[in-house]
Amino acid sequence: MSLAAEAFVSQIAAAEPWPQNATLYQPLREDQILLSDCASSLAVQAYLRMCGLPVRVCCRANAEYMSPSGKVPFIHVGNQVVSELGPIVQFTKAKGHSLSDGLDDVQRAEMKAYMELVNNMLLTAEWCDDTTASEITRQRYSSPYSWPLNHILAYQKQWEVRRKMNAIGWAGKGLEQVYEDVSQCCQALSQRLGTQPFFFNKQPTELDALVFGHLFTILTTRLTTDELSERIKSCSNLLSFCRRIEQTYFEEDKDSQSAGSQYSRGPSLF
Amino acid sequence: MGTVHARSLDPLPMQGPELGVQADDMDLGEPEHEPQQEVLENKDHQTHLNSYGLGRTKEDILTYEIADVFQAKNLIDVMKKSHDARQRLLRLGIFRQVEVVIDTSEGEDALPNGLDVTFEVKELRRLTGSYNTMVGNNEGSMVLGLKLPNIFGRAEKLTFQFSYGTKETSYGLSFFKPQAGHFERNFSVNIYKVTGQFPWSSLRETDRGISTEFSFPIWKTNHTVKWEGVWRELSCLARTASFAVREESGHSLKSSLSHAMVIDTRNSAILPKKGALLKVNQELAGYTGGDASFLKEDFEIQVNRRLFWDSVLSASLWGGMLLPIGDKPTSIADRFYLGGPTSVRGFSMYSIGPQSEGDYLGGEAYWAGGIHLYTPLPFRPGRGGFGDLFRTHFFLNAGNLCNLNYGEGPRAHLSRLAECIRWSYGAGIVLRLGNIARLELNYCIPMGVQSGDRICDGVQFGAGIRFL
Repeated sequence: MSLAAEAFVSQIAAAEPWPQNATLYQPLREDQILLSDCASSLAVQAYLRMCGLPVRVCCRANAEYMSPSGKVPFIHVGNQVVSELGPIVQFTKAKGHSLSDGLDDVQRAEMKAYMELVNNMLLTAEWCDDTTASEITRQRYSSPYSWPLNHILAYQKQWEVRRKMNAIGWAGKGLEQVYEDVSQCCQALSQRLGTQPFFFNKQPTELDALVFGHLFTILTTRLTTDELSERIKSCSNLLSFCRRIEQTYFEEDKDSQSAGSQYSRGPSLF
Repeated sequence: MGTVHARSLDPLPMQGPELGVQADDMDLGEPEHEPQQEVLENKDHQTHLNSYGLGRTKEDILTYEIADVFQAKNLIDVMKKSHDARQRLLRLGIFRQVEVVIDTSEGEDALPNGLDVTFEVKELRRLTGSYNTMVGNNEGSMVLGLKLPNIFGRAEKLTFQFSYGTKETSYGLSFFKPQAGHFERNFSVNIYKVTGQFPWSSLRETDRGISTEFSFPIWKTNHTVKWEGVWRELSCLARTASFAVREESGHSLKSSLSHAMVIDTRNSAILPKKGALLKVNQELAGYTGGDASFLKEDFEIQVNRRLFWDSVLSASLWGGMLLPIGDKPTSIADRFYLGGPTSVRGFSMYSIGPQSEGDYLGGEAYWAGGIHLYTPLPFRPGRGGFGDLFRTHFFLNAGNLCNLNYGEGPRAHLSRLAECIRWSYGAGIVLRLGNIARLELNYCIPMGVQSGDRICDGVQFGAGIRFL
């Protein structure tokens, strides 16, 4: 967003308190949502729970097109619509809820870079590898649509993602290479985390939410093989980090089996 | 007997489906073909029929149109039937000019009372192009049209239209083929991509589709059966669009079968003086594939009657209903809209009915009615010439648009449509543009305005093809 638009949004946002009926929109959980989108959505949910802001999750087949920036998830708060974690963090900051006041910019930039890397790896694994794309990704992405629209939309999205990966030089990477990269990234994160409960200070920040979102999704989703999740499991402190966040912030959903659990998929780390 | 030259005074309008209104045709270079002579003889009735100027046109379609002339009994009959035949040849849309020459028979096998009827035709060029610029709703565009009339010799027509605008681009390709001998029975295939912006709903719609339609007359009515497959893409026009419209964004596929019946006895489509029109249209979507699933009905009735002093009383009634099939709600692209200078005057364009934060969402059922009294301009300036294109009119419009809960019975629906009726009255001037469109400048007083409607009281300007 431009500077002026940001200032405007902050002004409007600051005026009202957080309503009870705030809603988060994401693609259909069972059949449609993909790894990268699920990771982003979970990250936003974790962040909002960390701030103590109630939000309802709503699944729509056209969530991607409803979003003002074309990316999921997005939240509908009052009569404002904000998409992606970065702008959402700014939005909540304008309302007076912030988790990362004590952080300096270098640390923040470093974590964001790691997460962008992991996100790109997930996208590559899903769309650029032919087997995964044809067996899993394309079918899931276009499952709500009928023939021939499903083929048209799936191929259109694949072409778009491959073009983006080409631009950053990743299109040639095979699955093995992607797994290698994810492994290395996890090693780095594991070292960074060390024995602390969270990545920065004693309190969680949005960057913890971001890491949790991505790692948890990889751990609980199966692509064509379980390799990715195995590699993360090999870093024990990351595993316990994810468990800790799940227990702390998503615990109440295990007890109250209300109409459809509020977040992500059935399998958990327990 | 001397030579009788039967020629008409002014060019008759040609019929046949067109993709849009086109300005002057520009001829693209094409060498003149050699005129060929086609001779049809009928010894019984002592008439020879000759045709000059046929190039790629096949003879059999001509035979159907001019066969009637053989039935003529005497000279007057021959003249009348030749004139009819000439009109029928012109409506095929393949000749630029048709002239009829009636003469006595000459030659060795000529009979004493024999007649020679000659049709001299000039075919249209193989390829004609047109170029227009259009200024519309906040947008300017350049429209390029290409037409290939009579490509295979039996009045088939291929049309291509491309519109490049400041905001949107659209194009369409259409192929039309009539049945030889029965021009009213025809079929056409269209492929198109059309983008429209609808600021009253903050919505932008891109349609990419293919459709085929068959038209045929049954007794006095004209029927059209059409199958259409459209990939619709909806998106918000502005970041400030309401959430209800945002929820409708995305892609959907509509595959529908529709049937339309038209009975039109009016003497003209724009500002008729007498006659009536009945149009009934139904559309069933979802049974031939696609995501959208509904049954849509709508009808249009218009009755005109001439009164004293060259004034005309006209009454019209429109109505429609959209019934969703299955549990999916209806899409904003299928619903009906009401209001504006072409329907209930005095209200802003399509700004009546259900709305959310200023964006109008359309409704699933509507009706609209109008009574007009058209009179010539006061004091009749420019009579006999330019002044005849203008008419004054006094009108009374009414209508209603709402969503129906189909769980309730029809009685509840009728009462819902009958409460909160919007209506308006006023007077204005109408200008007729050719035989296709009209312009109106009215002073309107809207009444029965409900909260949420947007009105345009006072002076309102309207231009269009179809008016209530």
